[in-house]
Amino acid sequence: MSPAPVAPPPQKPFVIQKARTRFFGLTLDETIRAFFGGNALMAVVVLALITFFLFREGSEFFGQNRESITLYRKAGLEYVDQMRAQQESHTALTRYLFDIRLRAAKHLTEEKGLSAADANAQLASLDEFAGRYSDTIEPVRGMVSELTDVAVAIKEKYTLSRDAEKERAQFIAAGMAAEAAEVKIIPVDFKVELAPLVGMTPAYVEAANGVSTAITALLATPPTVPAPALNARLQRFQELNQQYIASFPATQKRLETWDYQKPVPALDTFTGFILGKEWKTASFWQDWYGVVPLFIGSLMVSVIALFLAVPLGVGAAIYINQFASAREQRLVKPAIEFISAIPSVVLGFFGIAVLGQALRALSQVEALSWVPGFPFAERLNALTAGCLLALIAVPTIFTLAEDALNNVPRAFKEASFALGASRMQTILRIVVPASLSGIVSAILLGLGRVIGETMVVLLCAGNRIAIPDFTAGLTAFVQPVHTMTGIIAQEMGEVVRGEIHYRALFMVGLVLFLIALLINFLAQKIVRKYRVSIG
Amino acid sequence: METSTPSTSAAPAPTSAATPASRAFAVPVRSTDTVQAANLIEIENFDFYYGAKQALFDINLKLDDKRVTAFIGPSGCGKSTLLRCLNRMNDLIDGTSVKRGKVTVRGIDINSRDVDPIELRKRVGMVFQKSNPFPKSIYENVVYGLRIQGETNKARLDEVVEKSLRGAALWDEVKDRLHESGLGLSGGQQQRLCIARTIAVSPEIILMDEPCSALDPIATAKVEELIHDLKKEYTIIIVTHSMQQAARCSDKTAFFYMGKLVEYADTRTIFMNPANPQTEAYVSGRFG
Repeated sequence: MSPAPVAPPPQKPFVIQKARTRFFGLTLDETIRAFFGGNALMAVVVLALITFFLFREGSEFFGQNRESITLYRKAGLEYVDQMRAQQESHTALTRYLFDIRLRAAKHLTEEKGLSAADANAQLASLDEFAGRYSDTIEPVRGMVSELTDVAVAIKEKYTLSRDAEKERAQFIAAGMAAEAAEVKIIPVDFKVELAPLVGMTPAYVEAANGVSTAITALLATPPTVPAPALNARLQRFQELNQQYIASFPATQKRLETWDYQKPVPALDTFTGFILGKEWKTASFWQDWYGVVPLFIGSLMVSVIALFLAVPLGVGAAIYINQFASAREQRLVKPAIEFISAIPSVVLGFFGIAVLGQALRALSQVEALSWVPGFPFAERLNALTAGCLLALIAVPTIFTLAEDALNNVPRAFKEASFALGASRMQTILRIVVPASLSGIVSAILLGLGRVIGETMVVLLCAGNRIAIPDFTAGLTAFVQPVHTMTGIIAQEMGEVVRGEIHYRALFMVGLVLFLIALLINFLAQKIVRKYRVSIG
Repeated sequence: METSTPSTSAAPAPTSAATPASRAFAVPVRSTDTVQAANLIEIENFDFYYGAKQALFDINLKLDDKRVTAFIGPSGCGKSTLLRCLNRMNDLIDGTSVKRGKVTVRGIDINSRDVDPIELRKRVGMVFQKSNPFPKSIYENVVYGLRIQGETNKARLDEVVEKSLRGAALWDEVKDRLHESGLGLSGGQQQRLCIARTIAVSPEIILMDEPCSALDPIATAKVEELIHDLKKEYTIIIVTHSMQQAARCSDKTAFFYMGKLVEYADTRTIFMNPANPQTEAYVSGRFG
């Protein structure tokens, strides 16, 4: 029986055209592609905009700073500052002398067992000498104080006329010609105004020479100190005075050749910012915008933080990756990562309330007085902030370093064990070198995290704008500092938009930005260098 | 009439058609065949577990000194596990345990408490399936084992590098670039570098875990030639999936199946005249 003829199955349509669904003329795939591409593009555009605005807002700083320095010169402030420098050197020498007196008194009462009255009696000649020495500068001091007032008056006069000019310009811009004409502008002729100031030069020189002869006369009969150990210091005081007197002709020459019209080189405004050692704002005298104290503050805090965070973070990563049992891993990893979930303002609060106190109390323990910098009196200082920043950097370093260690192929470890290496040898010779690039970039990213951190340093670093005194060694690390991030957060709210101070803060932001770029660049370089070989 | 196949054995019943003449390869006659070798490693009633899962069942095996022994069998039959038990590499895997029996090397139970696995691994070297030179220079790869033992004498290290690389038949190819990265070598060269690295610490036994599975036929031939040379000085135990390879290089062969030792005999016997039907089925290529 032959089977019944079967009709061939209908042919399926051969559809290979692109789908009909279209959004704005794009197929689904193309739309998805455009969406993700758009996101990536957005990120690049935002970065470019941030860079552009930072540069735009910051770049006008240089022009304004140049104006400010020019006024400093034209109004005679620079002139007065030269005299002031001379006066301040003398003050420093006087302080040195009083320091000797203090030491002598201490020596007499503590080592010779004299009563305070007896000691003072023995030191009477030194006291008299010190008093006379301190008086020698008086003629100059009076003159400088007088001239300060004159220079400030000139500066104020100029500022008033500038304000008037601006007001008029605003009226004109608003089309109010009548009001504009009413604004009175008193132009400042610096030459005339400076005449009394510059006219004082001969008198000042005479006064300075008087100081010099007085000091020489005084030093001809040096005082005696009842403690032989202090004779070296007294000798040094003599030498310092000789240097001081020797500097007089140079100052005199600078004053005589001083010219208020000498132009300020454009480069000075740049070096004045990058190398300036003073950040002084809202001063009656002259504002200085030098980034160095802030940069050093940021650097010190970061160095302390990394010094603590690198061993902790990398060590913890090695332990968790190589030694810990699965249970420990489950416990420790989330705990460390949880630290990064603590808001930095809370950490800062902890620093003020607990850590600062605790560190200070620790530093005052007698048994620890051998530690450099201990004891210290400031509760909030670079060390406190550095410790907290270390806490912030540890999770970053730990997580990334652990990833890097985890990525070392198992085959390397097995090969090392099979050759008779112990666990420690395998870690130190194979695992760590093989993941070194990852560990280094983890450290650099931790550094980036620390440099950019604001709240903790603002709350805990002490916020004193000064370069710490490095002559005393590590003591510098327990001094209060201010940081680049801290200053922006603290002062940005109070400045007038477009003013020089505002621009200066943007320049600080720009420096931070460049540092971050440099760190990233270095991280990439290092990764590339170590990727090839570990031996 | 149909019957269900016993689940314990996947091997078909022996047939008279499977004669040695059906093999696609020959087993060479060796001069060592007639010489009786001393036993170096003895494995007795050995049970091994991964966690709760038993991987080796009651293994009894005596391995000869200065001979090549091949472990063959289908994937997952426990031959690599047994190999890794011989230098206690399985210690590095969590949850492994020896529940019964012992492995003795020169009469010493290697799983006893007072055996230092690090010292053991210096005597029992291992070459892995995938060549794994360290990302260091060729020189540093070879001297690694000596460096971790604290050897710092440069002349001695140089001497060992040359001797080991010659021993691994690699010297002529790399002598001009000893300080270049070991990762720049070809696959076969890398594997021979790993062998050089292993023999640099002068072990007594070399374990090879499918050393040629990632290599092309020419590189394989070189490694096999090398194995032939090495057996003058070392005892070699090789795990392989290639029956031709086992036939070509080994003196004795052990066939494993499902964690059990099925048959252990002279290679010639295993391939030409196996006693067990499962062995017969496997070596004639009908399963596995």
